[in-house]
Amino acid sequence: MPKLPAERVTKVIDDPATPLWRGVIALRIVTFLFAAANVIANQSGYIRPWLAWTTLGVMALWSVFTSRAYSTTWGRRWPLVLVDLAFTCGLMLLSPLIMSDHQLLMLNVPLITTIWACVPAVALGALGGSFAGFAGGLTVGLFTYLSKGLPGLDLLRDVVLLAGAGMVVGMASATARRSAVLLAQAQRTEAATAERERLARSIHDSVLQVLARVRKRGLEVGGEAAELAMLAGEQEVALRNLVAAAPDSTVDGEIDLRPGLQLLATPRIQVSTPATQVMLTAGTAVELHSLVREALSNVDKHAGEDARAWVLLEDLGEEIVLSVRDDGPGIPEGRIASAAREGRMGIEKSIKGRVESLGGTLELQTGPGEGTEWEVRVFRKGAAR
Amino acid sequence: MGGSGVQEGGGKMTVSVMVVDDHPMWREGVARDLAERGFEIVATAGDAASAVRIAKAVRPNVVLMDLNLGELSGVDATLMITGELPETRVLVLSASGEHDDVLQAVKAGASGYLVKSASADELVEAVSRTAAGDAVFTAGLAGLVLGEYRRMAAAPDDSKDKPELTERETEVLRLVAKGLTARQIANRLVISHRTVENHVQSTLRKLQLHNRVELARYAIEHGLDSEPEAER
Repeated sequence: MPKLPAERVTKVIDDPATPLWRGVIALRIVTFLFAAANVIANQSGYIRPWLAWTTLGVMALWSVFTSRAYSTTWGRRWPLVLVDLAFTCGLMLLSPLIMSDHQLLMLNVPLITTIWACVPAVALGALGGSFAGFAGGLTVGLFTYLSKGLPGLDLLRDVVLLAGAGMVVGMASATARRSAVLLAQAQRTEAATAERERLARSIHDSVLQVLARVRKRGLEVGGEAAELAMLAGEQEVALRNLVAAAPDSTVDGEIDLRPGLQLLATPRIQVSTPATQVMLTAGTAVELHSLVREALSNVDKHAGEDARAWVLLEDLGEEIVLSVRDDGPGIPEGRIASAAREGRMGIEKSIKGRVESLGGTLELQTGPGEGTEWEVRVFRKGAAR
Repeated sequence: MGGSGVQEGGGKMTVSVMVVDDHPMWREGVARDLAERGFEIVATAGDAASAVRIAKAVRPNVVLMDLNLGELSGVDATLMITGELPETRVLVLSASGEHDDVLQAVKAGASGYLVKSASADELVEAVSRTAAGDAVFTAGLAGLVLGEYRRMAAAPDDSKDKPELTERETEVLRLVAKGLTARQIANRLVISHRTVENHVQSTLRKLQLHNRVELARYAIEHGLDSEPEAER
């Protein structure tokens, strides 16, 4: 076959059921040898020995052809496998012409195709999964009955074995395909992560170092350089967070809350999290993230431009604790309540509403000169309250 | 360059510092900043292996350690330096938010962590405090340490020597993570400034001790498992 080696390699790797197909080929060869031994042992009793030998020759050619075909992805297709099934069943139907009635009905001599006939059922399983394998086994069983023309316990046993074998191979093939898909996904993720790490490393080694240096020296020099330094510093923090934030990893609809929060950090806002993932259902994570953003924008509005803020994420297992604190002048007593009365529902609605919809609790600690501290506690879904 | 650690300089103790960073511009800049403020820069190094070698020779009071050093990481260098030189303190100076790296360095024995974007004043203060034996905790580090204790508490293995935080230590760490200064924490909890420092240091020490025990256990188990011929 005029195929490029590279193409071949990828094609074979692409089919995760390849080991099963090798099994099919091995089965075909072994069962053919058995069929040949069967003809040698029983030929004296055949009514048409020449037809037996001719059939065996055709079986040999067909075995070679299908083995070649099944070892490439080209041959592992429905048309060929179905032709294999039809051809095998057709050969099986020659049995009454070859064997004497005595052999067929009394001596229980195997049909001309013997167990060689089970191969298409197994191939169907490898190609189409458990249902196709089961159906293939039943078909071969049906033709065994048609060839013998007599139902019986032996026949039933063959049918059960054939259908069962087809089904089991089918399940194995489906499992192999599923695992291959998962493996490919994992490999893609791994490649993406590796690339990301490479980028992060090179950014760390070059741009971040320079920005940090510019910021530091600029602030020391002062004046216009200090303004440039501030700009450099902001970009440094933004870039650092971008590089550090892991891509959103989704496991069963859960996402890690940390990367989103880390992106909120600026030179004035410190975000502290655990080093390990904090997995939450996507809905909860999005709500908590918006909530922190709301609280931080509130810091900007009310605590003054120079106020610093700290976000702390804690994972207590059953409970997630998020704290947002600023060192601004604090909210005077009754401000939030009066704002609510006046219909300016900013904090009240956004923060309290979000926390309540998550079934969590909110604690606000503030006072003139003490800064403001929000502490949100949310139970994990499924955790006992 | 003096080989001994703390030296007398005009009646005032001079802190000897070694700067480890793979980026020459950064390394020289930091060294100059510190030298201008009266620290004695006894050595610089650009990679972890030479950092360990040189540190053993010059025995500095404080090693300023970058974590991103290539093959052998700053975490490994920290482990080796603090293991060999109990008098030397390691202060991690990290540019990126490599959270796990910072935590690993602290577990390996670093007594503090500072982001590279910190100002020269913050750096000077951090080095002085590190030399004085204090743990330099940023809010970010407190969050990492809290998370680590909770991860260990939630881990399925129930080994008896798992370190735990006392209620007071948890309280202090949470306040550090929320950006309060040691003085503010002392005021809020009505304890002394020194007690706050002690609590903070204790959380690190327990973590580091546990880490050393784990590493030793791992080495013994794997040494016996994989190389039976070494016993002969």
